[in-house]
This record gives sequence, C-alpha cells and structure tokens, in this order.
Amino acid sequence: MKSEKKVTLAHGAGGKQTSELIKQVFQAHFSNPEFTADDAAVLHVDGKIAMSTDGFIVSPYEFNGGNIGKLSICGTVNDLACMGAKPLYMTCSFIIEEGFSMDKLEEIVSYMEKTAKEAGVKIVAGDTKVAGKGQVDNIFITTTGIGKIIEGADTSGAYAKPGDKIIVTGDVGRHGCTILLARENLGIEADIKSDCAPLWGTVEAMLNTTKDIHVIRDATRGGVGTVLYEIAAESSVGVKLDSSAIPVDPAVKGVCGMLGLDPLYLANEGTLVVIAPADQADALLETLHQGKYSKNAAIIGEITDTMAGKVVVTTEIGAETLLPQPGGELLPRIC
Amino acid sequence: MDEQKKSALEIIKSYDGPKLRIMEVCGTHTHEIFRLGIRKILPKNIELISGPGCPVCVTPVGFIDEAVLLALEHHVTICTFGDLIRVPGTKMSLAGARTEGAKIQVVYTPLDAVDYAAEHPEEQVVFLSVGFETTTPSSCLAVKNAKLQQLDNFSILTANKTMPNAYQALKGSADAFLYPGHVNAITGEEECQKLANDGVISGVIAGFTAKELLTALAVIIEKSKTGRPYFVNCYPRVVRSYGNPAARKVIAEVMEACDSEWRGLGVIPMSGMKLKEAYKDYDARIKFELPEIKGKPNPACRCGDVLQGKCKPSDCKVFGKGCTPQHPVGACMVSNEGSCSAYYQYGME
Amino acid sequence: MCVGLAAKVVGVKNGMAVVDASGAKRKVSAELIEELEPGDYVMVHAGIAIAKITDDDASETDEIMEML
Repeated sequence: MKSEKKVTLAHGAGGKQTSELIKQVFQAHFSNPEFTADDAAVLHVDGKIAMSTDGFIVSPYEFNGGNIGKLSICGTVNDLACMGAKPLYMTCSFIIEEGFSMDKLEEIVSYMEKTAKEAGVKIVAGDTKVAGKGQVDNIFITTTGIGKIIEGADTSGAYAKPGDKIIVTGDVGRHGCTILLARENLGIEADIKSDCAPLWGTVEAMLNTTKDIHVIRDATRGGVGTVLYEIAAESSVGVKLDSSAIPVDPAVKGVCGMLGLDPLYLANEGTLVVIAPADQADALLETLHQGKYSKNAAIIGEITDTMAGKVVVTTEIGAETLLPQPGGELLPRIC
Repeated sequence: MDEQKKSALEIIKSYDGPKLRIMEVCGTHTHEIFRLGIRKILPKNIELISGPGCPVCVTPVGFIDEAVLLALEHHVTICTFGDLIRVPGTKMSLAGARTEGAKIQVVYTPLDAVDYAAEHPEEQVVFLSVGFETTTPSSCLAVKNAKLQQLDNFSILTANKTMPNAYQALKGSADAFLYPGHVNAITGEEECQKLANDGVISGVIAGFTAKELLTALAVIIEKSKTGRPYFVNCYPRVVRSYGNPAARKVIAEVMEACDSEWRGLGVIPMSGMKLKEAYKDYDARIKFELPEIKGKPNPACRCGDVLQGKCKPSDCKVFGKGCTPQHPVGACMVSNEGSCSAYYQYGME
Repeated sequence: MCVGLAAKVVGVKNGMAVVDASGAKRKVSAELIEELEPGDYVMVHAGIAIAKITDDDASETDEIMEML
C-alpha cells in the first residue's frame, strides 16, 4: 500500500518542495494566462469595480454538497455578485495544518477550479503557509476577488424602500443545517445538502430582467433573519414577513423541530435576499424559477415605513409579532 | 383559516367578562404564545402570566457553580442540554468555563452522555440533570443504562423538579392555569383534576400548536363563565388520564423526592428529585465530594419576582440595559422560554 | 418547559425506535411505551418517546370545541 502523502512544514518553507506543491497542485488546477509566478498579478480592468475578501474556516472541511474549497470561491463570488459585479479575478491564500492529506488538498483545489470556472472567475495569485500541528484546524482559506459592476446596477443594504417586495432565491437554512448535523454529533440523520453555489449566473439573470433592484444580499452567517435585521437598520425601514411564505426544506424543518431551532437563523451559502420594487417582483420571480440555483425562490414579505429597524412576522393565526433578534451561538435546546 | 380555529379565536377576541388572569405554567407555552403572537390578539381583560415552568430559569445559581467547579477543578467532561450553557453562575457561566479550558459537550439526550462516557473511558463524564417530570425519565434511563454497563466514569448532577408542590405555591397568582401538556403526558390528569375538585385552582391541559393553544384558551374563557371550578384535558391526543405509568415507574425506581431550591421561589419542600441510595455511585455530588455551594445571584436581578408573576420583566431595573440575551444577568433572560427573554425579543413593554 | 417533537416511528429494535420528523431521523428510547410499531406516532422529548399520539391536532380540537 502506498503511504498517503502529507503536507509538511517544508512545503511552506519556500524551497524546492514549495515550488513542487505550487506546480503540482495549484498551477495544475488554476492554470490560466493571468496566473502569476511573479510577486503580483498584473491585470487590466475598466470601469467601476467591486472588491471583497473573506476568510473560510469550516469544521468539518468536507460536507454534503461541497467542501471548504467550493465554499471559498462561492463566498467571494457571491459577495461580488450582490453588488451587481461580474466576478473577474480572485486570489487565494491557504493556511494548511502540518500533516494534512495531500489528496484532500488536491480535492479541495479541484473543487475550487470547477467552481471558479462555473462562476467565470480567474484565480490569478495565491499564497500557501503551513502551520504546525494543532495551530490550525486542518485548512483555512482566504479569498479576495474583484468584479466589474454591470452598467446600471446599483444595489446596497441602505436602498430598501417602503412598498418593495422581499424575495429569497431559495429555501432557507440548508447550509447551516448540513454543518450542524456534520459537526455536533447529534445522532440525527437527514438527507440535507448544503446550498453552497456560485450565484453570479443567478444575479446576472435578474439584472437582465431588470436593473431596478434595490438590495441583493448573501444570507450567510446568521441566516435570512440576521440579514433582514441588517437591511432594516441600514435602510431605516420596517420589514414585514409572511411566515407561511418562507420556503424551508421539509427535512430542515424536521431537524429544526428536533433541536428547537429556527431555519431563519441558519446560514445559507447559495441563497440571496433580494429587495426590489413591487412592480418588478413577479418578473424577477419568474426569472429566478428558471435558474439552476433558484427554483425555490419566493416572495416572503415587504418593506414598510412603520417599525423602522424591526422585522415583524405575520404568524399562522394572523397576528403580527416581532421576529426575535438572533444572537450568539446556536444551541440545541430542550426548553 | 378554517372554521374551527376561527371559532376558538372568536371566543377569545370577543371576551368581555370580568378580568381573567391565566398563568401559562410551562415555558414552552410562553415561547409559543409569543412566537404565534397570541398576546397581540387578546382582549384587555385577559392577562397572561408567565409561570415558572422553565427548568433553566428555576435552576439556582449554585447549581451552575457546582457544574463549573466540577469542570474546572475536577476536570470532568460536562454533558448538558444546550439551554444551560449561557446561564450565569456566581462567577461565570459554562460558556465562560469553556473559555478557561473546561470540556463541555452539548447533548440531545442524557442517553448520548452515557454513550459518550462508554466511548471515553479515560474521562469522567457528568450529565447536568435538570428538568421536570417530562425530562426526568430520560436521566433515570441514562443512570440505569450506565449501571447496566457498569460504567464507573458516568454520573449526574441532579436539579430535577416536580410540579405539584409548585402549583400549591403559585395558586394565588392566577385565576386559571394552562397546564404543561408534556408534564401531564407523564403524570396524567389526577393532580390537576384534584386541584379543581378541591377548589384550589381551575385549569386546562394544553398542547403546543396554534390550534391547541387557542382551543385551550377558549375553553378557559367559556368554563370561567360558569363560575364553578373546572378542569379539562384539551390535549387528549398526547395526554392520557393515567399518564405514562412506565415513565413514573422508572423515576420511582431510580430517584426519590427531596427539598429543592427554585430560583426566585426559594426552597419548596419535597419539590425536587435526587438519586436513591442504590444509585448513589452515579451521584456526582457524592462521587466528587462536592462542598455545599450557596450561589449568589446578582442582587439587581428580579427573576424571582418575574417567575412568581409579581412583576413584569420590564419592571426590573436591569432589563434591556445591563441584562440582554447577549449578556444575561438572570436565567429568565437566557432561556428561550424565559419571560425576560421573550419580553425582550418580542419587544414587549 | 419541555419541547416535544411529534414524529413517526419507522423502526423498532431492542427498546429503541427510529423516528422520522419530515425526513429528519433519529434513534430514540422506546422503553417507556408499550407495543410500539412502525407507523405509530409518538411525542419525543430529550431523546425519549414519552407518549403514543395521534398526529393530527385538528380532530382533537374539533371535538373539544363541540363539547363547549
């Protein structure tokens, strides 16, 4: 049996093994004309650009529906897409724990290649550091990206207006639920796959339908509930949700029922909150329903000029109540 | 909305009789009532009082101190329901102990804590056994299971409580009780029926869905009009008149009644449960020779008055200021079921 | 005080049952319920089935309202 190849401290020391690693793993997958061997990539970009950076630590680093590599591309691509920017170039920085499997690293990198290709983004520079055993949890990745803002697109969390409709581009809470089940050893089995996906295509299709979109935001950490509270505060408006309209996968609902959690606070990695004028909402929804990652899109509520900064939910008995503000670590509860 | 719910809702909305004070004894009811917005549709003359039925809220400060001591001084692995993690002790919460290196595992059931102990023979594992009649059988099964496997690295720290004596202590605070359906699933109807028969207090056993809660409230309103004491089981799909005898049997086999301190209510005689002599090897207090610990609650906190319905959360000086769900001073702000947390989260004054 | 989960029993073995709540499955103790069979519905709390139940709150509340 061939012994498994591992990442060693020498791979991060800058010598022969470092260049081998770069050549065999990173260059092999990220190869493109702009991928640099110099100190920095030299690029041409015209017009208004968006730029974003994000660090990824996820335990476990592999999960149903993806791994940390796919996540690290999607996260930055989606942040750019939310500003109406077509992702162009990315850099990625790896911090790898000594002893990490070389095969696993290669798998992660190949996921990054595939996802970047789908998103139409080129990886142009990278960095690798190897940390001593126990200093990091397997592998951390930081990606930075730039994208060109599409002519006419102008979105911000501060642009929501009373009367606007609120759309989610998919069912909520699947990534958070997937990670929770994989991490916490809760003995629960459910066929739930992370929604992790690159969403430039989704945003592009929406912008082709109408440029009149006020807010696009990635409902990652803290989920849709947290994002809506952010938007309510930034735009100084109220948010009114219809609890029955929020799409949730039945199995996610089942897991949340077992653990006493609310899917609105679970992270998504391929679901956006979109806020647009009411007269654009139906057309946007129709576009979304034809998209690969947005078949379950739904209008879940509207922006109001009352209760600024708050999120109000219409419940199943027709009463209106505040959505509790999410806070802290999600803990399974018995009471 | 179907015909059925509308009529229960109509009964509630159209109530114009004398002031009716209903205590939802159970914290899960408190939580669901807020989540569904039921308080928003009640007429002015119906007042809902949130009772002490949240095991986290009534667990005294000293219990958290004991758990922290076990974790940091005796280096045991603490297994606990997630609910207890952020409850403040005198010096720190379990979350605080975790940052100081304590090993804290969140479990879904005490049975998982036993499995954990079996898989980690090199660790001493202590399960924090809180809860009422509904939860206590799970701790008892866990202890029996550990004994069967002859595990010498598993024990429990008990703070289990029983409701009947608390009903007596609270009878003056309301006109009717909304009884905790899942406690009655174990205990049955007898105790509650007797409270009505003896003219102590009326009440109905309620379920947890919107339909069940509205129906239970409608029944209280209609029955109150008669002026006679009443008891109705409005949750028969789960609660049998005889409860769950097998669950009571396992409790009686493993545990026995003892005096118990309730946060805010003080010591209520024979309202707690502890392990019997035959299971003393699984009692963490005996096993680790814990000293008697008197916890010191923050003096500004009025959780005690809140739990007895003597004041509203917003009457407390620290509510929403020094005390928020992110930085709780008292347990009622920690638990999802706590009145303070519910008032804060749902913006009630 | 006690979050309960209504779930369907899909398997029973050695005092344990596998329950399914709209696709989320977990092993729970069935020791406290007599004669549990796949297809039954139970109320689960803290990993223990505490009561055999009917799954539907509609007929229950209908009957109670009838009685008023």
